[in-house]
Amino acid sequence: MAVTEPLSAAVGGIGDPARAEGRGLVDTLRHIRAALLLGWRVESNWADPVLFAIYTVIRPVSSMLLLTVMVTIVGGSADATARTFVILGSALWAMLVSGLAGPAWSVLEDRERYRTLKYLYTSPATFLVLLAGRGGARLLTGAMGTLVALLFAVVALGLRIDPMAVDWPLLVVTMLLGLPPVLALGIVLAAVCLQTRQESWNYPDAFAGAMFLVSGVVFPLAILPDWLEAVGLVNPITWWVAGVRRAVLPDGPSSIGGTGSLWTAVTGTAAPDPLTLIGGLFLTGAMTTLVATALFRGSERRARDRGLLDRTTGS
Amino acid sequence: MSAEPARADSGTADATPTGQLTPAERRLAADPRITADWTRRQTAETNLRALAGRAYPRVRGMFREPSWVIFEILLPFLGTSAYVLVYRALKAPEEYVGFVVLGGALSAFWLNVVWSMAGQLYWEKSQGNLELYFAAPMSLMAVLLGMAAGGLAMSSTRAAAVLVISASVFGVQFDVQQWWLVCVVFVLTLTALYGLGMMMASLFLLWGREAWHLTNVMVEPVYFVSGLNFPVGRLGAIGVAAIAFIPFAVGLDAMRQLAFPHSDLLVGTPPPEIEALILVAMTVVFTGAARWCMTTIERMARSRGSLSIRWQ
Repeated sequence: MAVTEPLSAAVGGIGDPARAEGRGLVDTLRHIRAALLLGWRVESNWADPVLFAIYTVIRPVSSMLLLTVMVTIVGGSADATARTFVILGSALWAMLVSGLAGPAWSVLEDRERYRTLKYLYTSPATFLVLLAGRGGARLLTGAMGTLVALLFAVVALGLRIDPMAVDWPLLVVTMLLGLPPVLALGIVLAAVCLQTRQESWNYPDAFAGAMFLVSGVVFPLAILPDWLEAVGLVNPITWWVAGVRRAVLPDGPSSIGGTGSLWTAVTGTAAPDPLTLIGGLFLTGAMTTLVATALFRGSERRARDRGLLDRTTGS
Repeated sequence: MSAEPARADSGTADATPTGQLTPAERRLAADPRITADWTRRQTAETNLRALAGRAYPRVRGMFREPSWVIFEILLPFLGTSAYVLVYRALKAPEEYVGFVVLGGALSAFWLNVVWSMAGQLYWEKSQGNLELYFAAPMSLMAVLLGMAAGGLAMSSTRAAAVLVISASVFGVQFDVQQWWLVCVVFVLTLTALYGLGMMMASLFLLWGREAWHLTNVMVEPVYFVSGLNFPVGRLGAIGVAAIAFIPFAVGLDAMRQLAFPHSDLLVGTPPPEIEALILVAMTVVFTGAARWCMTTIERMARSRGSLSIRWQ
């Protein structure tokens, strides 16, 4: 057999050389779809749908109740604005936590529990694409939790959302632009978990808790010191939450602007308008995604160098 | 052979008058801990060594991988700060800030119980260590206690750091007048919490993959019903139920009452002395239940042959 003979000929014409060489975007999309499907099955196939739904919604609903009670016992039920502000922010938070945890937990699950990371790593799909797909599946699960939590808030907590007043185009654009940076932050955590041991399960939760501080989710950024407010303004989650809030409650308070805020002091406007929100989300999201990709590549190189891709740990 | 033989962790089969197992008992004893015909001292020493051995990787791991300082201390502090700022934004009385700080500190123990105790045996099963535990001549309670001791070292560091840093940064003034009771309640809270953790570790072996999801849903819901950031008494009947069944809720409420004795915001719950008694009862019940669950589940798992089945 000649050395230069194509692989397809060497295996009797069965092989498809194009597959090994890759087909760019088509392959990437196929891999994302496969990873999404894999993630979804890993997430959901352990239980019947009802039980799975209960597990999916109980966390976001509890988080929302925790914050709602905090607001209610201090402000009383009359402070409807603060309640609405908090409820919407905490409902979105469920999605964020899922998106953050997805890629990180995929690394830990596949490496330490199922011990399949090495096989996934050597599959034709890019590792980063695989993790994004796995994270996407969890993000979708989180989105279901957010949706149910919002329904619960409307029914049980008296949240008022007027569908006619919702700025649907803004909502769709902010949701679409907001998901990549959420996954990008999850990829950053996956990069961390590649280097650490199995106790890293709760790292995404800890990270999400810290993000609470600088995202304007449950209180306006204006109450933070200026330097911390500036950190919040380069955080894509801040723009995502503010954009969704503005779309759903156009007359509600802004988490970015307002009296005493850095935004108002610098721009002279009370709050960013919808276009500014989209622009801010796009810019900070693109920046975060680029940084996350670079960090992950560095972590992946180090993991290969030190043989961390198939290690298991215990404590 | 010693003159005072005893069987490690066996409370069912009788020994002969000389303390030796009969050949029939030996044949029947599938458990290596029963067939190991040791003195009580040997048994105790082995169990202590097992306890220390199980705690060792947790304590040593803290120094080998310093990333936990960021994720276990710095980030939880920031998370606690966020809740403090919610109250500040609402212009709530300053006592609420103290409630949040105490809740943030004690939550370290709950997270440790949930993540590093409850799901741990299931995790060990997935990793292939569980059958080694069962095969070794030691009590599984020693393993569970070792897990708890190691976990305590980790979570105490986090709790102390969050408490000290948060209290300093936000200027929380604790007005403790009964230090001895604070210490007693704190210790009882930990014993009850880790007793519950040991019990859940046994139970979670039954649930397979569901254990992982159970672990996940035991954080925010328990935070809510336990009043992580507000007095649990404000939840009415839910709060009463939490006081009756969840050591985290009782311990947190008792600590708050002792740290802020003059607060009129802490209403609707028993006084700290009564809550200390509730914690004693919980410790006894949970630890006893953990022992019973471990024995029962081990027997069930042996009869089903499922001790070494992974990933289900």
